[in-house]
Amino acid sequence: MFVSLLLVGSSLAAPQLAMEAASQTIVDDNAAGLSIGVNRIIGGIISYARWPADLPRAPRTMCVAGTPQLTDHIAPAVPGGKSIAVRRLSAPANGSGCDILFLGRMPAADRQRLIAWVRGRPVLTITDDDPGCSYGAMFCLRTRAPGVSFSVNLDAIGRGPLRIDPRVLKIGSDGDAS
Amino acid sequence: MTRPLAPRGPARPAAHTTLQKLLSRFHFGITLFAVALSGVAILLAGITTLRSYADRNMELATRVGAYGAEPALVFNDPEAAREGLDPLRRIPGIARLRVIDHRGRPLYEWQSPKGDPSPVLTSLFFPQPFSTTIRRNGSVIGRIEIWGDSSTLIDYVRIGALAGLGCLLITALGTIILARRFEYELVKPLGEIATVAHDVRLHRRFDKRVQPLGIAELDRLGGDINALLDELQGWQGHMESERAVLAHRASHDMLTALPNRAAFDEQLAARIEDAARRDRRFALLFIDADNFKAANDNHGHAAGDAVLVALSARIKETLRNGDFAARIGGDEFVVIVDPLDQGPGAEAIAARIRQIAAQPVALPGGADYRLAISVGAAVYPDDGDDAARLLTAADTAMYADKLTNRSQKRQAET
Repeated sequence: MFVSLLLVGSSLAAPQLAMEAASQTIVDDNAAGLSIGVNRIIGGIISYARWPADLPRAPRTMCVAGTPQLTDHIAPAVPGGKSIAVRRLSAPANGSGCDILFLGRMPAADRQRLIAWVRGRPVLTITDDDPGCSYGAMFCLRTRAPGVSFSVNLDAIGRGPLRIDPRVLKIGSDGDAS
Repeated sequence: MTRPLAPRGPARPAAHTTLQKLLSRFHFGITLFAVALSGVAILLAGITTLRSYADRNMELATRVGAYGAEPALVFNDPEAAREGLDPLRRIPGIARLRVIDHRGRPLYEWQSPKGDPSPVLTSLFFPQPFSTTIRRNGSVIGRIEIWGDSSTLIDYVRIGALAGLGCLLITALGTIILARRFEYELVKPLGEIATVAHDVRLHRRFDKRVQPLGIAELDRLGGDINALLDELQGWQGHMESERAVLAHRASHDMLTALPNRAAFDEQLAARIEDAARRDRRFALLFIDADNFKAANDNHGHAAGDAVLVALSARIKETLRNGDFAARIGGDEFVVIVDPLDQGPGAEAIAARIRQIAAQPVALPGGADYRLAISVGAAVYPDDGDDAARLLTAADTAMYADKLTNRSQKRQAET
């Protein structure tokens, strides 16, 4: 409910769309706008990810580890209205029961342990604290004026059993290149 | 006498059109019509087909566009939309693209830099943009709209028009060749008929006939003309024989069938001219029956005629080849003995005629009649070198002979 109100508010306050070539989500130039943009990107990425068929279907659980840098309100806006359960990760080294792992700012050792744990498991990893996208998360969010963009770590995706829509990979790769 | 000349006016130019021109025009007209008709039909069918293909093409393009633009709408990313729709921008026939998000705000818009070659055609063929809604997991996230342009259609029409023009050119050539051939087949036999008719009219060649032509109608015409020529030839022959009879009648005596006075004058003039040129001599004998009037009076005109016929037959008997005899009056005859140089002389011939004429003649009544004649001779050029002098000399000699005969007769009676 709160999210939808925010969405309406952002639509009213949205600036005119510029036809600039920028591979990134355009967001309002304030904290609420940034939060909406981030959640929208996270929701989009989730909607283009496909978990193996033998796993029980939705709802997916998203675990937040560390401190998110771009927004303190993580609530993925998935197109189609599928809800995502969000909870904080209690034990920093174990992600069991999580389908999606959001890595905020955290100690490098914890992060490495989590990445190592994810390897080979059907878990989608997203971080907002890795502009170079080199620490092993699959998707890396970052701010780039006037909005938020993401890049893709193809190696990380290739190692796991998750399938990601190639159109998203393309957008993420282009964003990385530009 | 002021008759209106109106009917002649329009008839004149028609006379200058040849069959050839008429056929050409006719052929060309028909072929042009056929080609134009089929061309228009093909063009219309082509445009209809092309349009349905274009529609399907555009529908396909919107689907491709929807697929390409979907993540861009999810991420609200215009650059991603630009890249996702990149393949569509390279397809000819798309004038404008637009992606709208679920709130109706345009995310991405593109207009073909080429511009519309024909806005009228475009508005006729693509009055509405093709559009499709884009869904993600069942909820609408936006829509894509694509406007077509008429460039492919114009290309087709241009190529079609060019091909049609080519077809027309080829057809025109073919028509000309066909018309020539047809003309040859038709005009040649007609020309043959005309040649025969012309020959007959100009040179009186009634023996000319139209040969078989190989076309039924023309053969019938030729056959009729030949039949007409047969009749003409018959008439011509008849007229010629009639004329010969008339000419004979004009120059001959009806009773004795000897040439008459007119024929004799002509003959004498010719003989004089001939003899003068060849330097030869001929004799002119003047013969007159002495007692013909008595035969007429005593035994009737039929008897007189019989005497004249008998006398002329006997005169004819004495003639040689080249001699000429004529009856120039009631009981007057002349004989031209030509040439005189060989054979018996003029006097000898005169004596022979006199002797032969003295034989009795059987009259129609049954009685015999003895005819006496007087003969006078004149010789060209001794007694005269023109017709009048020769005749006068012969006449004088005949009278002298008649006087001698009378005196002899009187002496015989006494």
